[in-house]
Amino acid sequence: MDPAQAPGVYEGAANVIAAVMLLIEFGMLRQALARDQVRLYMAQSALISVLAIVIAADRNLPELYVLAALSAALKVVAVPLVLRRLLARTGDDEEEAVGVAGSNTLSPATAVLAGIVLAAFGFFCFGAMGIHGPAAPATALAIAGAMVLVAFGLMIVRRDVASQAIGFFSLENAISLAALVVASGLPLILETAFLFDLLVAVVVFSMLIRTHHTRAESLSTADLTRLRG
Amino acid sequence: MSAAIPIPVIQLLQVLTIAIGAPGITGVIAKVEARLQGRRGPRIRQPYYDLAKLFRKEALAPDGASWFFLAAPLIAVAAYLTIPLLIPVLTSYGLPLGYMGDILGGGFLLSLASFVVATAALETGSPYAQLGSSRAKTFSAITEPVVLFVVFTVALLTGTDLPYALAATVRSSAGQIIRPAHLLAAAALFMVILHETGRIPVETHTGTYEFGMIEEARSFEHSGPFFALLKWGSELKQLILYTILADVFLAPWGLASSQRAGAVVLAIAALLAKATAVGCVVAVIDNSFAKLRLFKITEFVAGAFLLAVLGVFTLYLGGG
Repeated sequence: MDPAQAPGVYEGAANVIAAVMLLIEFGMLRQALARDQVRLYMAQSALISVLAIVIAADRNLPELYVLAALSAALKVVAVPLVLRRLLARTGDDEEEAVGVAGSNTLSPATAVLAGIVLAAFGFFCFGAMGIHGPAAPATALAIAGAMVLVAFGLMIVRRDVASQAIGFFSLENAISLAALVVASGLPLILETAFLFDLLVAVVVFSMLIRTHHTRAESLSTADLTRLRG
Repeated sequence: MSAAIPIPVIQLLQVLTIAIGAPGITGVIAKVEARLQGRRGPRIRQPYYDLAKLFRKEALAPDGASWFFLAAPLIAVAAYLTIPLLIPVLTSYGLPLGYMGDILGGGFLLSLASFVVATAALETGSPYAQLGSSRAKTFSAITEPVVLFVVFTVALLTGTDLPYALAATVRSSAGQIIRPAHLLAAAALFMVILHETGRIPVETHTGTYEFGMIEEARSFEHSGPFFALLKWGSELKQLILYTILADVFLAPWGLASSQRAGAVVLAIAALLAKATAVGCVVAVIDNSFAKLRLFKITEFVAGAFLLAVLGVFTLYLGGG
């Protein structure tokens, strides 16, 4: 079998950033504290900005720097701040460290293995689509596909609203990753519009978290099962 | 110009460097760890004194133990001393015996050594030694897939699974270093090394708390020279694994590319420096994390498995 050819440094860097983002997604899967999940979300969002800067530098697209700054301001600063305040308000006596450990439906090791299966599925599906191009690293795109599925998995295996919200936000990160890799030349206004979609999601999820917490006195969605007809 | 050293002598030097350097690296790690904790710590030469003391002591075997109990440490050390022939320790070009076995061959030798030690521990009838060997075998069964996936990554990267080939590939260009497959495989290997050398977060390296012990507990019943061989063996294993990590994956620079004496001496110094650097990182990890509960070790290994599997995935689309 022929040795695999090394991609260029730019493509390698993009792929590495994508791979680290996927690893952070897995980190969220096994994290037991909502606070730490928010922290991981911040790291993941920061990496998206770094990737935007790398692409901007490589392909000479100055408006991507603006996008990187906007995305960092929104996802690294604003969204985590909102989430933290929400969680602090819902936390009972010890306002810090809302534990969502009990919300795991699978043990962490099993969840990671299930995540690997999901990631493999997403990875090879995107690989089979065969989107190739000089400016689109196929691996980073496939990793974005895997991330979408793992984020869905995170929302499924967790039974609390906070993790589900973070799963949804990181899903948005995955989609931004795919967008950056495939269509980095998109006009800035469109990219920004996508970014502000996230704000809608934040509003919806914060309403959901607060309503659920005032009704059920907890973040767990397990009580909702008895509403089945 | 310095004189050329004959090839067989270089091959012997590879083994001697590992054999003599190994206790020193353990001493350095113990010293760094103590300094990080604000203690003065033992001398760096302390492991050598320990070995010398143990070699002078009387050897005892428990009642009913067969010859295998005493043969196991010898077999283990022999296996460990064979591995430096197979991996790039000092030279960037393959030595004649270097093609005797590939990475899997080295892996088999490591497993053989750990198997005979575990079997000897089982023979003693001592509950702690048996506990240790049973745990060691359980956890090595779950780290094995990680190692296999790391080997797959190497095979996909180079088209062969010779350690020399991977080192040469890594040296060839910057693109080879920054590709995710290589970084993920190296990270997975590092986690396996933490596991195999019995470091935090898997096992406390120092201390006498038997219930947390995995590898350490296996040598409880050995004494005198045989205990010394076991201790030396685990130090050898540590330096061998560090050498694989540094000379094959992370930093295959500083190896001798010719037979000149100067280059070879420089390579010895470079190897020890690299192993010390890896050891310092390990010491920092030792001091910054808590030991995992026994049943949490599977999560640690699942993390390493994730890295290794992702490494293989990224290669399949050609880009990684």
